[in-house]
Amino acid sequence: MIKTKKAEKKTAAKMNTISYHMKCAQTANGLTHFVMYGDVPKKKMPL
Amino acid sequence: MKNGRGLSFSDIGADWKLALDPDNIFWGIIPRDNGEFILPDNLMDLYKKERKHLDTELYNFRFNADLNCIYIDPTDRCNANCPYCYIPSRLRKQGAQMTAEDMDKALAKIEEHFKNIKKKPVIVFHAAEPLLVKDMLFDAIKKYRKKFLFGIQTNALLLEKEDAEFIKKNRIGIGISLDAASADINNRSRVTAKGGGNFKKAVQALDWFNGYEGLNVICTVTKYNVDRLSELVKFLHKKKVPCVLLNPVRLTQRRAVNLKPDDMLFARNLIQAVETAMELSRKSGRQIVVGNFANVILAIISPAARRMMCDISPCGGGRTFLTVTADGSMVPCGEFISMKEFSGGNIFKTSISSAMSSKPFKKIRTRIVEKIDECNTCSFRHICGSPCPAEMHARGNIYQKAAFCEFYKEIIKYAFKIIAEDKVKYILREGSLSQMQYEYRY
Ligand SMILES: C[S@@+](CC[C@H](N)C(=O)[O-])C[C@H]1O[C@@H](n2cnc3c(N)ncnc32)[C@H](O)[C@@H]1O
Ligand code: SF4
Ligand code: SF4
Repeated sequence: MIKTKKAEKKTAAKMNTISYHMKCAQTANGLTHFVMYGDVPKKKMPL
Repeated sequence: MKNGRGLSFSDIGADWKLALDPDNIFWGIIPRDNGEFILPDNLMDLYKKERKHLDTELYNFRFNADLNCIYIDPTDRCNANCPYCYIPSRLRKQGAQMTAEDMDKALAKIEEHFKNIKKKPVIVFHAAEPLLVKDMLFDAIKKYRKKFLFGIQTNALLLEKEDAEFIKKNRIGIGISLDAASADINNRSRVTAKGGGNFKKAVQALDWFNGYEGLNVICTVTKYNVDRLSELVKFLHKKKVPCVLLNPVRLTQRRAVNLKPDDMLFARNLIQAVETAMELSRKSGRQIVVGNFANVILAIISPAARRMMCDISPCGGGRTFLTVTADGSMVPCGEFISMKEFSGGNIFKTSISSAMSSKPFKKIRTRIVEKIDECNTCSFRHICGSPCPAEMHARGNIYQKAAFCEFYKEIIKYAFKIIAEDKVKYILREGSLSQMQYEYRY
């Protein structure tokens, strides 16, 4: 059974409900599982 | 589909309950207390508020994303003979090869196609073994480096030190195939034409690249190496490799079927490899990312930021990327290389746009999870994506669920656990996380 209640009191002491959604300014959106990053940063990055 | 929309509930280990709208990937992870959980009202409010926007975002990502990557197979031939290779051995022995003139024609046509688009398209040299014609590739890169971002996928057998220098200098993405941290295991699946393996050459290549940001290693997971993934991650971290893909073997060719690892065994070992990667990254301050797992995390927290287009429905084949084979044929993905019926035209004769609107390309773009039994009721359908149509076509019917269905279910549950435990920062590339912003946060 799913109970619905105001969430003022979290049941489990340290754990909280989590939900979020992020947006990415730059995405590659186009590579298959064969290749991961076609977009190599222009400048050298510290490793 | 229109009716019955809403949140579905499932357990994530003993501590958490997952509330998920499978149709737009709205999710909430709720703590459980003695198995019980309380669905907070304000989580429902958040869901109602964000639902439309998430619907639109996922719809656009699935159906309105632009073509932005072209794979070019400069040669169908190969100097190796890996038992799982999805390219038929007949092609790898006698297949076509582009001339420098062909290559230039193809790139000029691609340049023309993208001329009004600001973002540079990605060109990946792929197929069988691209370094068989490396001089031609490097000349093409020199000519077109301002127009495209380039990547090369190779078994490294023909790579020389000066090639690595050229690649680094020109900021070219480089994928090296290596299946295990020891020669005996690696060389069982990465077999050269002469009968040895690529271990020595691939490791030498890693040393030459010496932590280069554009390097990634591809490991194809089979029953030979499935229990050695964590060991491989340790080895690659020592070699300063920033990213590794631990890809399930596709069962496109019959020879590969016998090499399929057990789903649960693979899931357990992938999870262990991810744990190893997190620990090493944390302790050393130098990151190693398990790319295909990072992609699952992205599919949950930022679905439109996904980079790999296999694990989405419809997949990116014939949509966000396509492949030009060595004879000029345009197919939705390299996996279709030997399936003539999937050709959408020939780059030397017909346009890229006509390939994009061709019947075979449409067939792949309309292969969606909603039409696949089991996937159509699975809560994880837009995270898993049920790959892969080419593999399933070879197995008789594209409308079948993924060969690694149980594997995907396990790692997706694990991904939610990682999110619940706030460990995402150890999984994604540091650079990519800093480019991301919260759209909402409970
Ligand atoms: C087809 S090869 C072409 C480039 C180059 N010859 C190489 O081996 O890297 C590209 C990648 O696909 C992987 N691959 C080949 N057959 C596969 C299969 N059946 N399933 C999954 N990956 C596969 C290879 O291991 C390699 O990492
Ligand atoms: S080296 Fe690459 S193309 Fe050649 S047989 Fe192996 S996986 Fe296939
Ligand atoms: S392949 Fe399995 S995990 Fe993936 S969407 Fe289909 S049923 Fe779900």
